[in-house]
Amino acid sequence: MNHPPRRISLEDWDQRYAELVDAGLHEPAYGGPLRRHAESGDRRLTRLQLDNSAAALQLWNFLLTEEQRLRQAREVGWQILGTVKDLGTIPVMAYALRRVVAFYPDGAWWLPCLMEDQTRVLQTADSLGIDDSFCPVRAMLGAFANQAHFPLPDLLTCSVGATCDDVSALAQRLERMGHPILWWEVPHRRQPEPGEPAIPLPGGFHAPACQVALVQAELTRVRDALQAWSGQPLGDRQLRAGIGAANRVRKLLGELRWLGYTSEPCPLPALEMLVAEMLAIHFCSDQPESIHVLEQLLAEVRARVTAGLGVLPKHAVRVFWVNPVADLRVMNLLEDVGGRICGTEYLFCHALDLIPEDLPPLEALARCALADPMVGPPQDRSQRICREIRRFGAQAVVISRIPGASHCGLEGLVIADMVRDRLGIPVIEIEVPPITDALEPSLRTRLEALIELQKR
Amino acid sequence: MNTILYASPLVPVEWLAAHGVRPIWWRACDPRRIDAADCDVDRRGEPGSLLRGRRGVCPLAAAVVDSAARASASAVVLTTTCDQMRYAASWLQYQRRLPTFLMNVPSTWETETARSLYLAELERLSRLLVALGGTRPSNEALAEVMRDFDGARARLLGIRDRLLGRDLAAALITVRETAAPNEWPSVADSVPSSDCRPHHDLRQGGPLRLAMVGGPLSESDYGLFDWIEQAGGRIVLDATEWGERTLPRVFSAESTRRDPLSELADAYFGTIPDVFRRPNHMLYEYLSRELSARHVHGLILRRYLWCDLWHAEVAVLKACSPVPVLDLDASDSEASSSERTRGRIEAFLEMLP
Ligand code: SF4
Ligand code: SF4
Repeated sequence: MNHPPRRISLEDWDQRYAELVDAGLHEPAYGGPLRRHAESGDRRLTRLQLDNSAAALQLWNFLLTEEQRLRQAREVGWQILGTVKDLGTIPVMAYALRRVVAFYPDGAWWLPCLMEDQTRVLQTADSLGIDDSFCPVRAMLGAFANQAHFPLPDLLTCSVGATCDDVSALAQRLERMGHPILWWEVPHRRQPEPGEPAIPLPGGFHAPACQVALVQAELTRVRDALQAWSGQPLGDRQLRAGIGAANRVRKLLGELRWLGYTSEPCPLPALEMLVAEMLAIHFCSDQPESIHVLEQLLAEVRARVTAGLGVLPKHAVRVFWVNPVADLRVMNLLEDVGGRICGTEYLFCHALDLIPEDLPPLEALARCALADPMVGPPQDRSQRICREIRRFGAQAVVISRIPGASHCGLEGLVIADMVRDRLGIPVIEIEVPPITDALEPSLRTRLEALIELQKR
Repeated sequence: MNTILYASPLVPVEWLAAHGVRPIWWRACDPRRIDAADCDVDRRGEPGSLLRGRRGVCPLAAAVVDSAARASASAVVLTTTCDQMRYAASWLQYQRRLPTFLMNVPSTWETETARSLYLAELERLSRLLVALGGTRPSNEALAEVMRDFDGARARLLGIRDRLLGRDLAAALITVRETAAPNEWPSVADSVPSSDCRPHHDLRQGGPLRLAMVGGPLSESDYGLFDWIEQAGGRIVLDATEWGERTLPRVFSAESTRRDPLSELADAYFGTIPDVFRRPNHMLYEYLSRELSARHVHGLILRRYLWCDLWHAEVAVLKACSPVPVLDLDASDSEASSSERTRGRIEAFLEMLP
């Protein structure tokens, strides 16, 4: 740690990279200067403030080379599985298979931001009749249609039922475009009725035993299909190994989040924490490497915490953030105005919970799928958010609305009401489109007002 | 008698009626208009936030919830057939002013698991109805109620060609509440006689034959039928959410005798072609069959703003439909939408071959 931790621009990273190389930086095959990503299309990097550590360099390089990794997998004859909507369940099963790589086509969500207006995915979606009344996931449809991003998967799975209309509708379009989909059902999680057997779920919710059994039956159907598709057994032994590897990722993230969100000063910027959390969903198409990347990041954070160093001034206002931002730049903006992230619910907190290892594997995965906060009522999600706010000691909440998302019109009402009611802390709701440049002054003003309120 | 408010064609009216409760279909108000009278109080007795007009919220789902919150029914039954309605139901549960039953209707439908979930939900609904004072029906009692409603639907469909569009739409709602035929409009009042035939037929030999598909039409939307008829058209297929498309198939007499609940589930869950189904090819098979059988000249797709499920199908419908398609999106603003809608309907009819 010759360089004190800081957020630096991409320009500064050119210099920083040269220094790291001179100092003997060891990089994986996907390593290299960050500048090259911006030059090959990820132009948003030029507008972001990035952490200056070698571990963050590796994290960004890992994230931004995923398409390359998928293409290499295709070239060497690996099978590619696209797991649509399901956040963190089917990939656990898929990575228990050999020579199979699973990815998350909905991750195209961030393409319009990362590539700014260079990518044509939104225009392609528009031309297919899918306009901005849909959430940014419509970029997925554009990416399938123009085939300029990820390779087309050999098989697609999609969870439906208690899921958003956006993905359900778009996945149906994909099927019509000739991409067969294995649909599987996740029912709306409800409260067990009096006297009805209830099963505890990771993360603290409960579900009726019959719902767990139903999802388990659906996952058994998916498991059978994956076996037939891959020509490999996917029995309990393989699934247990897959769960063990997924839990390794989740444990690393558990410690990273704890240190990242509770240490003073803030040891890692919000942006890198967001990218790290996303690795939980599908491991960025390489599970062993995602573990390695997270280990490096955690080592860096531990060292900073031990040294009492951070990337932000001490006593930044502690903000809990709800929903991922379509424009990554907004994470910087919060820090620019004196805030820091202390707890998140980016729609996939269930993918951060440990998967029970003492249960039959498919039952364990069924419990995890039902623990998805979006599968139940927003009251449940709000409860979990309140719990996490207390755990991380956040002082204020930002609900970041996702434009066009079928759940965002209403859930914010419940979350804001419950947080104010139970915790008495301020809540604001903002809407974050994929590119916020034109809105930045007003977003800045709103975030500043929130921060100022808590500084008093 | 306890009344149960509901608004989903996937909830079998026979199941409600056989429990001795009174099924009431939601028909309260115009989803696009917010009246001062609608102003409500929230769970703490403070001025409540109406959902209608809230950005991103389907006006129909919002209207159902806004008015259900003030309804005098014993309970409201909503379904998980779309995310908007799922969240709307949760909002109602959060407000705690009316017992709200959110019935899990699976999106998948080709597996035994999905069917068993639907059946299990009917059983759960039954427990609620009994708790509200209803009686769990015997097989014989259920079968009898099923025969009554089956007969009522058959009678209605038998006269559908003689009803004006708005009257048929209203009767298609009524038949989701009662099997008594005297609740329907009189055919004599409604039949497009020489007086009430479309004012100007665009072609000799009769009006343009149109089908309408899409999300629900509330009573305040029935003016659409009038405009269509005044412009020289006639709806020969009401395939909107609460129209003919979502009626259950005719019950099998033998299965109704043997296992009425199972037959009920098959007739509703197993066959109603709807947009939320995954996959949704049943919807297209239905349209292809009916458009051709009814010699339709043009198809009108009517959908609400923020309704992703229908919105995403616009391009597919246009590509698959053997006849021209008019996409009518209903926004939050009633006045502009009315003017615009009327003009677009007239233009569409003029350009039909
Ligand atoms: S942001 Fe919301 S609406 Fe969009 S894909 Fe994710 S869950 Fe669905
Ligand atoms: S119109 Fe569409 S979004 Fe609205 S309740 Fe019906 S299916 Fe849901």
